[in-house]
Amino acid sequence: MTIRHPGDDGFSNLSDHDSFIHGPPHHTFARLRREDPLAWTDGGQFKGFWSMTRYADIMEYNRNTRLLSSAQGIRIEDQSHEEYLARRTFQETDPPEHTHTRMLVGKAFSKPVIAGFEGIIRRLCEEILDQALAQKEFDAASMISRQLPMRMLGQILGIPPEDLDWLVTKGDELIANTDPEYTEHVLDKDDTEAFRLMPFRSPAGAELYRYAKRLVEDKAARGDTDGVLHLMLQPNAQGDRISDDEFRNFFCLLVAAGNDTTRYTLSAAIHALASQPELLGQLQQGQDTIWDTAADEFIRWASPTMHFRRTATADFELHGRKVREGDKVLYWFVSGNRDDSWFDRPFEIDLCRSPNRHMAFGQGGPHICLGMWLARLEIRVLLQELAMRVKSIRQSGDHEYVRSNFVGGIKRLPVRVVLK
Amino acid sequence: MTRITWKIEGDRDISGEVEDGLNLMEAAIAHDVPYIYGECGGCLSCATCHVFVEPEWLEMTGPVDDVEDAMLEMTDVERRKTSRLSCQVEVSPELDGLVLHVPIPE
Ligand code: HEM
Ligand code: FES
Repeated sequence: MTIRHPGDDGFSNLSDHDSFIHGPPHHTFARLRREDPLAWTDGGQFKGFWSMTRYADIMEYNRNTRLLSSAQGIRIEDQSHEEYLARRTFQETDPPEHTHTRMLVGKAFSKPVIAGFEGIIRRLCEEILDQALAQKEFDAASMISRQLPMRMLGQILGIPPEDLDWLVTKGDELIANTDPEYTEHVLDKDDTEAFRLMPFRSPAGAELYRYAKRLVEDKAARGDTDGVLHLMLQPNAQGDRISDDEFRNFFCLLVAAGNDTTRYTLSAAIHALASQPELLGQLQQGQDTIWDTAADEFIRWASPTMHFRRTATADFELHGRKVREGDKVLYWFVSGNRDDSWFDRPFEIDLCRSPNRHMAFGQGGPHICLGMWLARLEIRVLLQELAMRVKSIRQSGDHEYVRSNFVGGIKRLPVRVVLK
Repeated sequence: MTRITWKIEGDRDISGEVEDGLNLMEAAIAHDVPYIYGECGGCLSCATCHVFVEPEWLEMTGPVDDVEDAMLEMTDVERRKTSRLSCQVEVSPELDGLVLHVPIPE
């Protein structure tokens, strides 16, 4: 079974953001996995690109950073070397340079450090749910999903609560820069030339840079040593510390990557609980071990970071296709996560799926999501708290998706809840 | 082929013949060893392939480099003197009979 939406005839144009406004074109991905696993797409306003859609291929190539490099950009857009240098973060580097930065920031996001946040996350979830559920009928995307990652990032970065909404709005402008609801400078429609050296080719990036700089200076002046920022700025065992530029870029990356991804996963989960009430029942009556597996299944299901791009550093051949040096290759994680040659019944949500070797976090390569332990914990705790409080959740209006082929998911989800 | 054994406290041992040239993380996954996930594919980015090496075998598994050492600070179960990230150890005939202990999270 695949889930088919109107307009997805199996030949959706993957470079067109409008192909994703009803959710990912899964019917097209299924056809590509079957018939054309390394497919060429003409790029429209950009150079064309290759799409890798099979689980096994992505797993095999993702670790081969010598052949398929992150160091010429990780989004579809073409950028000059000058633009690349001005805008890059460690996500846009390859080992060994990448390894160096990753070692410096990794500890702050490691599983044991993140596990220490469970209490804080639970308190935030209580606060958020008390506010949202009191209304009985509300937009779960903005009242629940958007709130938790935003407030949590505020906690771990030590950002004052009054700045949070501004910060997340800027983060959305960076990532969802193809949806007119989130930006005044729609990437594929307006002229963004003036912003080409700014992070994500967006003026919001420059504002975030300035904010990050001030935040660190203020904290230093106060002698504030709380939170992840401090931990990140500490020298490691070898005495190295990340540079100010690296830090500033990294801050933008966190605000961008740490918000909408978890948000869309939460919305996908709540949407699933509303449309398949038996799932809510399983969470409420199932064994406790269901909480070891449920979050990852929702993350696989949502796959909010639909693709990341690499660039070929040499010619190579795969499935009869000739990729040339300099060509862009997209890893469609969202497609790999529905590949039935790897997953049993990939189009079903199985909250006890184990093992669940999905690739929503970019598994199989050095760039595997730095925030994965945080995301997993936030999703588990929020769903635990939600399941404790509600008898039922029903959709009370149509849901809507972000206009993007990059990071996407449900941006509006009207629901009605009955409390226990 | 090289014989490797994974001991899982309170559970059965898993033992198997492993093809030389694979690393110990790939070998664990091929044998469905629980708690070894190897999520970054052996790129030293995840620390989800942590094992304790039976002390008498430790030297045979070779030296720990700086990156592995830093990543060992990020494991779920706290590192010990015998800790290795199993993606960093290549299976070779000299390791025939190797015994590993799988760290079990709380
Ligand atoms: C369900 C939620 C999330 C999903 C699905 C997700 C997905 C991903 C994916 C697929 C990558 C790999 C990119 C590549 O291969 O180029 C990645 C990298 C990254 N993610 Fe996440 N992410 C999530 C949550 C978070 C959170 C909460 C944070 C931070 C607080 C975060 C921070 C990062 C960073 C910094 C990187 C770059 C790592 C590197 O290049 O080494 N992510 N994420
Ligand atoms: S598999 Fe990720 S560090 Fe070994």
